Amino acid sequence: MEYIKNLKDKLKDAFHFNSKKERTDAVVRGFFLLATVLSASFIIVIVFFIALEGMIPFVTDNDGLGRVDLVRFLTGTTWLEGTAFQSNLYAVGFIIVNTLYIAFLSLLLSMPIGVLTALFIAKIAPKRIAEVLRTVVELLAAIPSIVYGLFGSGLIIVFVYNFAKLFGVQSKGGNSVLATVLVLSLMILPTITALSEVAIRSVGKDIEHGSLALGATRTQTNFKVVLTSAKSGIFTAAILGVGRALGEATAVSLVAGNARSGPSLGFFQTTSTLTSTMLQGLKETIGIDYDIRFSVGIVLMIVILITNMTLNFIKRKVGNVDVK
Amino acid sequence: MKKLALLALSALAVFGLSACGSTEEGWDASSTITVYTRDTSSGTRAGFMGGIDFDDAAEDDSLLVDGFVIKDNTGIFTSMKTDEYGIGYISLATLDETVKGLFFDGVEPTVANVINDTYGLKRPFNYVTRAMDDYANDTEKDISMAFVAFMATTDGADIITNQGAVPLESTETWDDIKADYPVCEQDNSAVTIKFGGSDSIEKIAKALTEEFAPKCGDFVPEHDHTGSSDGFKRTQGSEKDGDNYKHIGFASRPFKAEEAGETGTQGQLAWDAIVAIVHLDNEVSNVTAEDLKKIYSGEYTTWDELLD
Repeated sequence: MEYIKNLKDKLKDAFHFNSKKERTDAVVRGFFLLATVLSASFIIVIVFFIALEGMIPFVTDNDGLGRVDLVRFLTGTTWLEGTAFQSNLYAVGFIIVNTLYIAFLSLLLSMPIGVLTALFIAKIAPKRIAEVLRTVVELLAAIPSIVYGLFGSGLIIVFVYNFAKLFGVQSKGGNSVLATVLVLSLMILPTITALSEVAIRSVGKDIEHGSLALGATRTQTNFKVVLTSAKSGIFTAAILGVGRALGEATAVSLVAGNARSGPSLGFFQTTSTLTSTMLQGLKETIGIDYDIRFSVGIVLMIVILITNMTLNFIKRKVGNVDVK
Repeated sequence: MKKLALLALSALAVFGLSACGSTEEGWDASSTITVYTRDTSSGTRAGFMGGIDFDDAAEDDSLLVDGFVIKDNTGIFTSMKTDEYGIGYISLATLDETVKGLFFDGVEPTVANVINDTYGLKRPFNYVTRAMDDYANDTEKDISMAFVAFMATTDGADIITNQGAVPLESTETWDDIKADYPVCEQDNSAVTIKFGGSDSIEKIAKALTEEFAPKCGDFVPEHDHTGSSDGFKRTQGSEKDGDNYKHIGFASRPFKAEEAGETGTQGQLAWDAIVAIVHLDNEVSNVTAEDLKKIYSGEYTTWDELLD
């Protein structure tokens, strides 16, 4: 009884407004809540839909082809053995390796360049030049991926083909791990630069001044104090960069060569990623060959989740310096 | 620090420049053949593999030589400008003098040779309309019917020819038959007719509607070409009543058994020739179906095996 009375009072409080202003506040709060629920529920709907479609190959008998073997699917080294629509021997094991390998290499290439660019824009460049550079980076970040893809297939694969020839390697027309890594590095560079720049700019002036007052040079301060202080933010940049690298489909499928077996670890070998595999033929296929692409989607979501969690874990481990 | 950076920069520049510069030493027949193909859902691939008597490989990647590259039509075409040792196949409509189109069984890949039926590597371009009683109104139905009739006229044939495909034989002009289609006398500027299906036929379909719309009351043609499977699916199949429904769909391959629609709603508008292409420097100029099969199955791995 006591409990119900309490609850009643609480409810009364919740719906009792002292003034018109308070009521407006409550209504606005309600709207915000609604917007949040709406945007959050989309994620649930999407995950639910992909999961539902992606489960089909594993739980139904696929019109007589039989269930896809999950362990084989996750560890195999050939995308599809046998004739499409007549075989259920799909596997993405090697594609997972390819995807992570490419994302890692892209990050390795664009991380130093991006962070150094950010440092230059935030700390070293004169104000006017910094403004211009910042706009350029923002522009680069806004270029759609298909444009990067066209650039890649028109220029980068030709470059890689000739580059391979220098080493006496006959590449597959330049379609390769290297070309994919170059295109992806270009794509994630602006993301990393922009976010790192914000992180570097938010490092407290007092820390910097302290370092300078202790006799450190500008360069020493920039590398040993500013960058270390901003490392948490820089890690966030890396996480978002990796996210884009893992999720890019269009540009990758134009330069990767879309290998159907692997893994491809050599720089001049053709390769494929989870996204490019999903994209290939998606618009022209039906049945299990269509559904299995949703299964690849689930794998991709899990890979991204695990990668992000790992990076977040490392980010927490490396710690944080007091940053505004 | 500065010196190191300079050194690194100059090394990078030298590498970059030398990689851009030409390293021509002539065409080397002992090089490995790089095989380019469309993916398993492509109609061109089905047409090509059928044409070289390698039907099983149309939908089975594991029968192909190791290390093949999967690209789309334009991707294969542009790759042959770079890759001296590559071989691929494209629509005849895409072929131009920047790559080398191989003779097939001694016959040059030209429109004339497809018409006189000497060139063997070809596939049909088909259309499918909605079922007769499945249009929203009679105007849409009549315009669709008029369009189908237009495709079979000499006017339609000219447009198809201009787009690089090869039309079926025709004798009548549009002016001869337009009296049978009174709908084209009306003002149809408020009517939208939706076209879809094979993207290989997109260029031809667009050229046809561009020419035909002014002849038929200025109806509004809407093109959304997403692949042969959608041709039937969106006119009479599972998506016929969905948001992506179409009035007329196209397929760049014969309709499959499960795509048999209502009688009289499907037909052929043209032939498309598929042509095997190589880099301009390549010394090979003629192939047989057997040669191509041996290349794609991996029996021939270097070019001199083919030339011998």
